[in-house]
Amino acid sequence: MSNPLLQLKDIRKSYEISGTLYPVLQGIDLQINRGDFIALMGPSGSGKSTLLNIIGCLDTPTSGQYLFDSTDVSRFSSSKLAEIRNRNLGFIFQNFNLIPNLSVLENVLLPGFYLGQENISKAHELLNLLGLDQKLNRRPNELSGGQRQRVAIARSLLNNPDLILADEPTGALDSKTGQEIMNIIVQLNQKDKKTILMVTHDRNIAKMAHRIINLSDGKIT
Amino acid sequence: MTSTSIILKTFRLAWKSLVANPTRSFLTMLGIIIGSLTIVIVVALGQGAKKEIEQQYSSLSVTTILINAPSTVEGAKSKLSYKDVSELTPIQSLLIVVPQLSGRVQMQYQGNSSNLAVLGTDPGFQTLANLNLLQGRFFTSEDDEQRNKVVVLGAVVAEELFGSRTADVVGKSIMVGKKEYQVIGLLEYKGGTVGPTTIDDSIFTPYSVANRYILGINGRFNINAQAKDVASIPTAIDEISTVLRQSHNLKPGMNDDFRVRDMGTTVSSAVGSSRTMAILLAAVGIVVLLVGGIGIMNIMYVTVTERTKEIGIRKAIGAKEEHILIQFLFEALIMSLLGYIIGIIFSFLVYYLLIKFEISAIAVWWSYFLSLAVTLGIGTFFGYYPAQKAAKLNPIDALRYE
Ligand SMILES: Nc1ncnc2c1ncn2[C@@H]1O[C@H](COP(=O)(O)OP(=O)(O)O)[C@@H](O)[C@H]1O
Ligand SMILES: [Mg+2]
Repeated sequence: MSNPLLQLKDIRKSYEISGTLYPVLQGIDLQINRGDFIALMGPSGSGKSTLLNIIGCLDTPTSGQYLFDSTDVSRFSSSKLAEIRNRNLGFIFQNFNLIPNLSVLENVLLPGFYLGQENISKAHELLNLLGLDQKLNRRPNELSGGQRQRVAIARSLLNNPDLILADEPTGALDSKTGQEIMNIIVQLNQKDKKTILMVTHDRNIAKMAHRIINLSDGKIT
Repeated sequence: MTSTSIILKTFRLAWKSLVANPTRSFLTMLGIIIGSLTIVIVVALGQGAKKEIEQQYSSLSVTTILINAPSTVEGAKSKLSYKDVSELTPIQSLLIVVPQLSGRVQMQYQGNSSNLAVLGTDPGFQTLANLNLLQGRFFTSEDDEQRNKVVVLGAVVAEELFGSRTADVVGKSIMVGKKEYQVIGLLEYKGGTVGPTTIDDSIFTPYSVANRYILGINGRFNINAQAKDVASIPTAIDEISTVLRQSHNLKPGMNDDFRVRDMGTTVSSAVGSSRTMAILLAAVGIVVLLVGGIGIMNIMYVTVTERTKEIGIRKAIGAKEEHILIQFLFEALIMSLLGYIIGIIFSFLVYYLLIKFEISAIAVWWSYFLSLAVTLGIGTFFGYYPAQKAAKLNPIDALRYE
């Protein structure tokens, strides 16, 4: 039974650099269902991050239609897109992207702050679950890479999003730590039924997903 | 979570990023500190000057009219004379017209000797200058007609010659110049001047006595009058001019050889010019604040650039433009507010020093609000553009920034 969370229809994206148009995405059609776990693969520069950012409402396509939860968001205002990012999406980045002068707890609470619902008990619960209950008041630079990525995962989950977007979440970690992080991500999909779209160039990691999508020359192959 | 608590949180956030960089924050605030301090102090100085002027003229009512011969007409001796007093007396709009013959002379009582002011005038001067007697009486018309050698002392004169402003002086004899005079009265301490005369530093004698025995042609002569009321001042001035021109045989087209001023105008122009000065200095304060505002703007631009990545992260997890705008605007406002508070604390110190060195300054409550309003206005104005720049950043570009 297909239950589409989002649909991309002929999504194109090109960058203009000194008058010349460089096409990056050249007609992407993609449907992601609730509960999916998709790995996005492809050579460097093929447009994986660009696609992920468009799906993540951080970027807008040059043309095409993007339906999120049956709503066309491709022409949404920056404020509406911010709302979708805040309520429906969770980001996990390769380089963690934590705010350095905020504590672990404050970093995790931030999405709640912008939602207008400060959910301290949820933050504690997530940090407990991820084994960070001893680190609440530490700064990110006092933590190891794996710990930082777990803080980022906790942050991405605070507002209980529909979709988790992970751009090479293990890219900056050693393989053992990367494996731990992957276990968490797999659990998110299996236990918490989160929909996950993950960019990776590691075939072994991609194998943990339900479905692998290959991107090459701006097209899904 | 209510919007108040969002504001509180944003405030805390902004505060944190300021204390993360205390030296820079302080240097940024310096312009605001100096500017807000300047405004408060300048207003206090202006108020002090105004008070001083008012005090100086307090012994005169606004209906007083001063007639003198401009000293600029050198050589051509002024024709303003005692005769003019009787010419002016009949004018309807004037209540009192008195001569004022003033100068300085050596006085002595027992061992004490001092060079002090003498004023020869008519008994009407007591009413005109609103003088109160502490002891004895003022001189009368008979004293004037009979050229009685009697004097009334100002408070400071009593202090100089008798050692106290309230000494028993009536009945004593003092030497004025080479002759002996009998003290018949002592005035209350007054503070302030009447035309060229400081009441407290002067002795008062009948005009005829001052003219014949003490000052003669060495005295400075002018005339004081008092108008019936404020409304009749312009008429009175006109009539005085007409009468004096006639009495001095001035032909049409010739310049007046006398000057008529009313106290009301004189005081208000003195107050006005001290106010102009205060406004000028306040403008300097505002310019300093403006420069401080530009300092804030510069640092805010640097901050926004330095924190581009942070802005990207915040946007990625759902911050809207207005969230970022408010965050950075608050930083600018907190810096302004803090600068203001430090400035006000320093202003107390400066105020204390002014008072200590006897510079007339009066702290005024509204100057603190004025300074606060200008400071916050400037913080908002100059904080807005950098904050706006931060808010408008594209999330992807911001996230990529290293
Ligand atoms: N803001 C941009 N301006 C110009 N070119 C860009 C911009 N963002 C990405 N690109 C280009 O688009 C292509 C795809 O980039 P990206 O999506 O990051 O690739 P991947 O994540 O697959 O390595 C690259 O050639 C990159 O240089
Ligand atoms: Mg990439």
